[in-house]
Amino acid sequence: MTETVLETDGLTKRFGKLTAVDDVSLSVADGEFRSVIGPNGAGKTTTFNLITGALSPSAGVVRFKGEDITDVAPHERVGRGLGRSFQITNVFGGLSVRENVRLAAQSVHSEGINPGEALFRNKNSFEEISEQTETVLDQIGLQDRADEHAEALAYGDQRRLELGLVLATDPDLVMLDEPTAGMSSEETQATMNLIDTVLADQSLMLIEHDIDLVMRVSDRITVLTRGEELASGTPEEIANNEDVRDAYLGGVRE
Amino acid sequence: MVAADFIEQLLNGLTLGMVYVLLAAGLSVIFGVMDVINFSHGELFALGAYLSLSIIAPFGAGIGFWVAIVVAPVVVGLIGAAIERTTVRPLYGRDPLYHILLTFGLVLVINDGIRLIWGTQQRQLAVPAYLSQPVSILGVQVSVYNYFMIAFAALLAVVTWYLLNRTKYGMIIRAGSQDREMVRNVGIDIDQYYTLVFGVGAALAAVAGIVLGGYQNVNTGMGNSVIIPAFVVVVLGGLGSFRGAVFGGLLVGVVQTLMRAYSGSVLATFGDTTLSVPNLEGLTVYLLMIAVLLVKPQGLFGTRGEESEGEGELLVGGYGGILADSTRVRLGGIAVVALAVAPVAILLMGDQYYLVVLNEILIWAIFALSLDIVMGYAGLVPLGHTMFYGVGAYTAALVMLHYSQSVFVVLLGAILLCAILAWIVGSLSIRVSGVYFAMITLAFAELLYSAVFKFDFTGGSDGLLGFEAFLGLGGVGAALSNIEFGLLGYEVGQQFVFYYLALLIAVLSLLFARRMMNAPFGSVLQSIRESEERAEFIGYDVNRYKRRAFVISGGMAGLAGGLLAVSPSTVIISPDQTLNWIHSGEVIVIALFGGMGTLYGPMIGSGVFFGAEEFLSSYTDQWRLIIGTLFILFVLFVPRGIVSIPSLVAQRLETANNADGAVDMDETEVRSDD
Repeated sequence: MTETVLETDGLTKRFGKLTAVDDVSLSVADGEFRSVIGPNGAGKTTTFNLITGALSPSAGVVRFKGEDITDVAPHERVGRGLGRSFQITNVFGGLSVRENVRLAAQSVHSEGINPGEALFRNKNSFEEISEQTETVLDQIGLQDRADEHAEALAYGDQRRLELGLVLATDPDLVMLDEPTAGMSSEETQATMNLIDTVLADQSLMLIEHDIDLVMRVSDRITVLTRGEELASGTPEEIANNEDVRDAYLGGVRE
Repeated sequence: MVAADFIEQLLNGLTLGMVYVLLAAGLSVIFGVMDVINFSHGELFALGAYLSLSIIAPFGAGIGFWVAIVVAPVVVGLIGAAIERTTVRPLYGRDPLYHILLTFGLVLVINDGIRLIWGTQQRQLAVPAYLSQPVSILGVQVSVYNYFMIAFAALLAVVTWYLLNRTKYGMIIRAGSQDREMVRNVGIDIDQYYTLVFGVGAALAAVAGIVLGGYQNVNTGMGNSVIIPAFVVVVLGGLGSFRGAVFGGLLVGVVQTLMRAYSGSVLATFGDTTLSVPNLEGLTVYLLMIAVLLVKPQGLFGTRGEESEGEGELLVGGYGGILADSTRVRLGGIAVVALAVAPVAILLMGDQYYLVVLNEILIWAIFALSLDIVMGYAGLVPLGHTMFYGVGAYTAALVMLHYSQSVFVVLLGAILLCAILAWIVGSLSIRVSGVYFAMITLAFAELLYSAVFKFDFTGGSDGLLGFEAFLGLGGVGAALSNIEFGLLGYEVGQQFVFYYLALLIAVLSLLFARRMMNAPFGSVLQSIRESEERAEFIGYDVNRYKRRAFVISGGMAGLAGGLLAVSPSTVIISPDQTLNWIHSGEVIVIALFGGMGTLYGPMIGSGVFFGAEEFLSSYTDQWRLIIGTLFILFVLFVPRGIVSIPSLVAQRLETANNADGAVDMDETEVRSDD
């Protein structure tokens, strides 16, 4: 039996009278590519925020690698190996591409830096961090643009950098919030290929609108509607699920 | 007649409170709708009072007062609308920080304009005789004017409430203060309403100025004395909330008046113990403000979510630019060498006064540098940074008076105490962000400012004096005042010695800060400025980094304050010289003026600011007017500060060269350098 990397138990989030996420219990296996789909307002992003720690749940538990992380601060979740990307590109625009990646790499090595070094040693003189930075730059194919400001990159390249930031924190599970939002079909294909190659060793959890895409890449799919889990299963199971067809696919799509 | 006395004080409090209501209503709605922190509101208030002086003069008090109370607010309202159109409007969408610089410039301009037109003498605003009569109702004796003020202000408040709540314009304005973007999205051009809001806010302030002017007197400091309490009212009530402004205004007016009237009076006696009202006048409202901000940052009646929309862009001067790093380092080296030989020139000229100016510049350069660490790098804007400057100065003076005169011990003491203070203030305030952080640090600074008046050991309003610094450690060295020796026939005194000490410390501080920003710690600060959320989600404890930056910044500001106390030109350390909020404003202005986010920019800003002040004040009494105008022009046209001028010039030249051909539209972005 494969190990479980992420598990939610009765996860619930209420905003006033609205229950955005209602008793969602998921389990993601180590190495799995899990996608979460659902119509607008189904609670996808809220679920995502509860798992990453951007929101705290009204009820329920989040377990990561067997440990309860429900009350753990977001930055500490990252330190434990839970990475995330943002739906709206969120990179450090005024800093160079290399510095963006280096900062992410520095974060996972910060325990090895003593306070004196943190204040006074040149940030580029840490070998491990620099090595990891260059590796990631190679992986995301931005090596030759590494000295440019991140905000000067084209949109597609910024998305790559976004993934690079996640990758550089050396995560076990990567949460991807619509990584191909606003991309052309070629860019989408390129980004999915990138995710495939770059994040091959990580467990992935993808929030996505594009159903065709999800059917193609996922190991398992969870469908949410109105904050509740409607079904979970392999792409085939989901495609053949009557409830899913009725509620979400509307029976039109094949 | 304890009850009658109490009611009398309560009435006095309500009277003052109504003035705050009128002031805060405009301030709050202006902030709520436009995100403008309007420091010049107090000066518009004073302008109303002064204008009415001139209006009353030809008519006499009987009719003139009524003419003035109608005409003066209209005139001030029009001036306010003009200010919005010409200066505030181009800044929408930028960080509220730039409004601080702008409205600070407006404070200087309007205040100096008032001095120029009406002079600096305190004036009496004539009110009709029947209003100034005392009247006794149920044994409570106050002036008719009190009742008039309360009734008149209440009437205006009701009218304002009606306009805001029962008219279409009001509804749009209220909607705008909740969520401006949404109002735009439903197809309403909210920008059109800004001029109206600003003008009406200014007119209400003018009314407040007239009624308070008739109650007390009219003087050039009246704007300055009400602006901070008015901010307290706005924050207490909730930014953008009219109901909050009314409630907060009355609360602050009553609390202030009652604490003044009853401080020290005995409440009850139990055997040997007496329970008396603590002498907390002045402190209470700030304690209240801090408590409210910690428990409910959006204020008592605030409905606005924290950071309801993305803040405008912070224009740091730090990257791009036309000068290479090596050129910049070389220029820095040249500047230091020039500063090192400057005293020789001063010796030859024989006027040591220039050294006094240079010493002040160096002290403020360190102070402005300390601010840049949090403001330009961690994106935190403290409106109370002078608390560290002041506490540093007081600590240094106290250490010299009671413990050790050694400069090293004194400065170390100032740094340590301020770092501890920064840790405490930072721990409490960093959890709130943006403008709330600015306000809570302002409250702490005002709390300390009020506190030094209360204690004997800080010398009350007189301040501390009679301290002397000793350049050395453990008895080895010499007292600064005794240092005087001849060099090639010239007399070298303590000013010279202090100058080199200050220059050394300033250079070391800059090198320290530079080093830090190129180290892992500083790099994280920059990432926080770029995107706090992203920094959190690559694994950094953002609040901890901010707090540490605040501690380092506070310690460095304390060092600047310590140097002020050590300086041979400083005889007294007084509250107004060190802890007055105006210095918090000044240091922000200097940092922006020089170019924040560069470290050296704010230091250059200090030099230019004090240099210009010295230069202008030797030619004209209206130097504040000129400096204020300069700030306004800078924030409009050179937002990245002095350090961005070379690239602005280069860009202009390029545009001029390209004038015939196609102009590259991407090049409109302003880049900076020194």
